[in-house]
Amino acid sequence: MARISSFKSCLGALALASLSLIASRAAQADATLNRIKGRQKLTVGIILSGAPFGYIDPQSRAEKGFNIDLARALAEKLGVKVELVTVTPPNRVQFLQQGKVDILIANMQFTEDRAKIMDHVQTPYDRAGGAALGRKDSGIKDWADLKGKPVCISQGSNYAQPLADTYGAAVKGIPSQPESMLALQGGNCVVAVHVAPTIKLLLADRPNEWKDYAVIIPTELEPADSVIWLRKGERDTGAALDAAVRDLHASGAMLEMAKANRLVDPTFIEEARRTYAAPAKP
Amino acid sequence: MIDHAVRTFIALAGEIGLHYDFLASPSEVRPWIAGMGTTLLLILLAIPLSLAAGVAFAAALTSGRPWLAGPVRTYVELTRNTPTLVQLMFAFFALNMLLSKALGGAANNPFTPFFWVVAVTGLHIAAFHAEALRGGIEAVPAAMVETAHAIGFSGFEVLRYVTLPLALRTAMPAIVNNLVNLVKLTTIGSAIAVGEVTYASIMIWTQRDNVLELMIVILLFFGLINTALSQIGRYVERRLAVPGYGV
Repeated sequence: MARISSFKSCLGALALASLSLIASRAAQADATLNRIKGRQKLTVGIILSGAPFGYIDPQSRAEKGFNIDLARALAEKLGVKVELVTVTPPNRVQFLQQGKVDILIANMQFTEDRAKIMDHVQTPYDRAGGAALGRKDSGIKDWADLKGKPVCISQGSNYAQPLADTYGAAVKGIPSQPESMLALQGGNCVVAVHVAPTIKLLLADRPNEWKDYAVIIPTELEPADSVIWLRKGERDTGAALDAAVRDLHASGAMLEMAKANRLVDPTFIEEARRTYAAPAKP
Repeated sequence: MIDHAVRTFIALAGEIGLHYDFLASPSEVRPWIAGMGTTLLLILLAIPLSLAAGVAFAAALTSGRPWLAGPVRTYVELTRNTPTLVQLMFAFFALNMLLSKALGGAANNPFTPFFWVVAVTGLHIAAFHAEALRGGIEAVPAAMVETAHAIGFSGFEVLRYVTLPLALRTAMPAIVNNLVNLVKLTTIGSAIAVGEVTYASIMIWTQRDNVLELMIVILLFFGLINTALSQIGRYVERRLAVPGYGV
């Protein structure tokens, strides 16, 4: 009897969950662009994982960073105001699917798994890979040296799978990057792997605190395109944003934003500028 | 056979918009199943620790010796009044780091994140057990304690044979409550990368963004454990009941 009732409640939960999913998906059928225009507002889900991408400015208490500047620039291109919603790895996709945000600029690189449940703006705004921060005397020189060693990442990073599957590292997912850095300093892992620009900026900004540490593996892990994510099937929104992103690349505005936010190595954006600024064939 | 069942389930769930595709990937399923095992192991270790420490704390609190009751009272208040997550972070990032330094490097530090989760959750809940038991001990009629002393019981014997057995019966519902909380509390292990079931789920949903699907499983998992736990609690309560004593 108990077994039957628990099975029923399980079914009930599933049915409820699926109903809400279907309802939320049906209600948004490709209407995002109309909604953005109608409300005169672009709602962007951003992640505040640290400089240079997204952080709270200690003085003004306002959100700052490259992702935030990009959100503002896109809204300006569409001729609407911007509304920022802070998201976290566990809630970002739900926020998008439930319509709480129109798009996500949340440090989410392109992966096949993500492309199954969401659409993305074709033109990437940046390209980022993982850098390994570790003690200079750790003796680690290559990703393969991490086999069996504890490696700290932040929960929500895409590096867990390649580190564990390809290199056999013992991956430890710590809630966020600052805590992962603390775990590295405490000796709980041999290296911490995070998006390269954040690590390079940290080393540049706090040379004293990190004098025994460096990016000890010369190559980057899994460099992938950083793209803007939107709900499945929203072609019009995707096309409008794609044009805006190309425009930002071509005009050099993207590069300016990168420099203003001190992205230490904006090679990709520089290349993108040359690509998109090339005059189209008549 | 199992393979086939899993694939059928994935397809069925896909029909209603739930993505359980990860079940077909052994490299993701293995740590996830191991996560369930780790949660159970955490629970199995933390429950006895909390009970033993709880009884010791309660004995100290009701001992009538200020040098014993004072420090324990301070500990109980401090533990009850601060968030467990903060305690765990403090233990792991501050205490553990200091320990590593004192022992000459992290390599010599025998305390794993797993140890800290068991210690912090077990000792946290022990403070709640102690208060529940203290209430029970103080509820034993003074005349009964006096009688025990009069027939030659020492202070410890009074506790062991008279007050504690009765207090345990009065405090049983509160203790089971605390244990149910302890089971749920083990999920904070995810904050310091202990591979219990929520951590394992986080690592999957950050790759696949199937939060809802995994949340459903986690809810059912903890629901089942705690249903079993409260059934056991109720059974023990019935077994221990003293006819006519009212508990």
